[in-house]
Amino acid sequence: MLLFENIKLALTSIKMNKMRSFLTMLGIIIGISSVISITSIGSSAEAVVSKEFQSFGMNNMYVYLNWEMVRDRPILYSDLILPEDIEALKARFPEDILYAAPSISASSETKVGRVQGKLYMQGVAADYHKFYNMNIAYGRMINQSDLDGKRDRIVIDEKASRHFFNKVNSVGETLAVTINGEIRDLTIVGVYGKESSLFDQLNTSDSYTTYIPYSLLQSVDDTTTYLELYTNGEKDQSLLGGDIARYLSRIKDKEPEFYRYESAEVQMDMINTILGTLSIAIGAIAAISLVVGGIGIMNIMLVSVTERTREIGIRKSLGARTKDIMTQFLIESMILAAIGGILGTALGIGIASIGMGIAGVPVIIDPLMILLAVGFSAVVGMFFGLYPARKAAKLDPIEALRYE
Amino acid sequence: MREEIIKIENLTKTYENGEISVRALHNVSLSIKQGEFISIMGASGSGKSTLMNIIGCLDRPTEGSYYLEGTDINEKTDDELSTVRNKKIGFVFQSFNLIPRTSALHNVELPMIYGKVRATERETMAQELLEQVGLSDRAEHMPNELSGGQKQRVAIARALANRPQIILADEPTGNLDSHSSVEIMDIFSRLNREEGNTVIIVTHEREVAEFTDRIITFKDGCIIKDERTGEVA
Repeated sequence: MLLFENIKLALTSIKMNKMRSFLTMLGIIIGISSVISITSIGSSAEAVVSKEFQSFGMNNMYVYLNWEMVRDRPILYSDLILPEDIEALKARFPEDILYAAPSISASSETKVGRVQGKLYMQGVAADYHKFYNMNIAYGRMINQSDLDGKRDRIVIDEKASRHFFNKVNSVGETLAVTINGEIRDLTIVGVYGKESSLFDQLNTSDSYTTYIPYSLLQSVDDTTTYLELYTNGEKDQSLLGGDIARYLSRIKDKEPEFYRYESAEVQMDMINTILGTLSIAIGAIAAISLVVGGIGIMNIMLVSVTERTREIGIRKSLGARTKDIMTQFLIESMILAAIGGILGTALGIGIASIGMGIAGVPVIIDPLMILLAVGFSAVVGMFFGLYPARKAAKLDPIEALRYE
Repeated sequence: MREEIIKIENLTKTYENGEISVRALHNVSLSIKQGEFISIMGASGSGKSTLMNIIGCLDRPTEGSYYLEGTDINEKTDDELSTVRNKKIGFVFQSFNLIPRTSALHNVELPMIYGKVRATERETMAQELLEQVGLSDRAEHMPNELSGGQKQRVAIARALANRPQIILADEPTGNLDSHSSVEIMDIFSRLNREEGNTVIIVTHEREVAEFTDRIITFKDGCIIKDERTGEVA
């Protein structure tokens, strides 16, 4: 009952001094809105990174020759990864390695009639599209016989198709490209469609990503130093990567660190850890402004106690106990801070939405963060309201009544 | 035989102000019975207000004892004194001391809020009390919208909120014109006669004191005269 009265009282007092209350809240509003917007932007960025990695293939892994090990000597044939090594890896990890091929790529200018363009050609093995969420719109993907026969085949995307041939389905057409200094006419066997991702937006090069049999790019022999894998997502990627790299070192009769691995998931975890740490750090700096806001509340509550000395005296003469006066002022400072917290949360969400809207990324608001922010601001209000409230409660009733 | 409600024995109050100590009350003994209508007179600085504060449990004596309804006030804690003020004593001040920007009705409700009376009951009671002082039509008015006499009547209604036995009024007519003063004193007389309240009024005006049945006069912290008005006349 008294609590309800005190809340009513606090609201009346806050309303009575609108400008003053707002200015007092401003510190809390700024603090909370910075914390909320920074953490929201942080978690939105994390989500974007995760999504991009997922579309790219979370279980994408590279196993490669550790160049540090061969820095002081020429590369030997036995250092290189051979087709039989790839088969051995697949045989050793039949459940875990779903796709394995040398990772080779090349770029080339091409021209169809008077239309020019640049192609980025990624060497792939058969079934590549099954693991990387590719959508083959027309024709087919590179297959095993293209690979075995080193056939001049290419799969391009819809954008390239429209660019060069002014139509979506360009299966059967040819593109002349230069591979390892040799001009080849590649026949288009498939056209794929793909949603553009953030990585594509960041990619400023104007080349079209296309896929060709990796064997086409191997000029001298069929060895490689860089292996692309697609792995079983149910396994811990860092453990699996380590196992694969070590096994490869063993069958090649090399030191354990001779081959290394790089996993998309491990990389993503690293980026997210950095992003998370960063937003916590900036958030913590923003939280300092909450302390400043708290001091503002303490200041205005001290003024309020002085202004209302006589009122406190009257209340005491009417039977208010120390506790009652204390509660009245504590609740007032807590409500002041909590309203500031709510306004700050709204503003923070607004800032995050606008910021993310400009970046074209959906905002992620962590409800726990909001709860924490409003709760924390109320705690700030309570903490900084404590001293003024105690001061009010301890006033001597006679002196308070005499106060002019 | 009426019961003794206030008993003060050898009461001394000294104010320490740095090096100087001021003796406001000196060895005062006083007995007040339930239902008495008393005025305390004296020049300013005579100690009458100090006595009032001690009777009202706002202040404690330096020496001597004060029994209110037989219980020793000296032994009570500050919070217990708050409860005593809330339940047993109603204050009326010279400067009204209404809470600003708070309606007359809510001002009257205040002691009941601290007395933990339920909201609905509180409001009905406050309305009744305002009617008793003839201000039921001003319930929602703010103190600054009321005249001096009206403010003092709200203050009296507030003093009566928890049905206390004792009403303490410190110069209740000090800020009022003569017409309002008579009105206020009539209310006190009526409360004393009809409701049986013990009413103690501090004043320096003889005309106000004349309304009461017993006049106690202070000088330099001591009682110099304790007379019954009927006897004097």
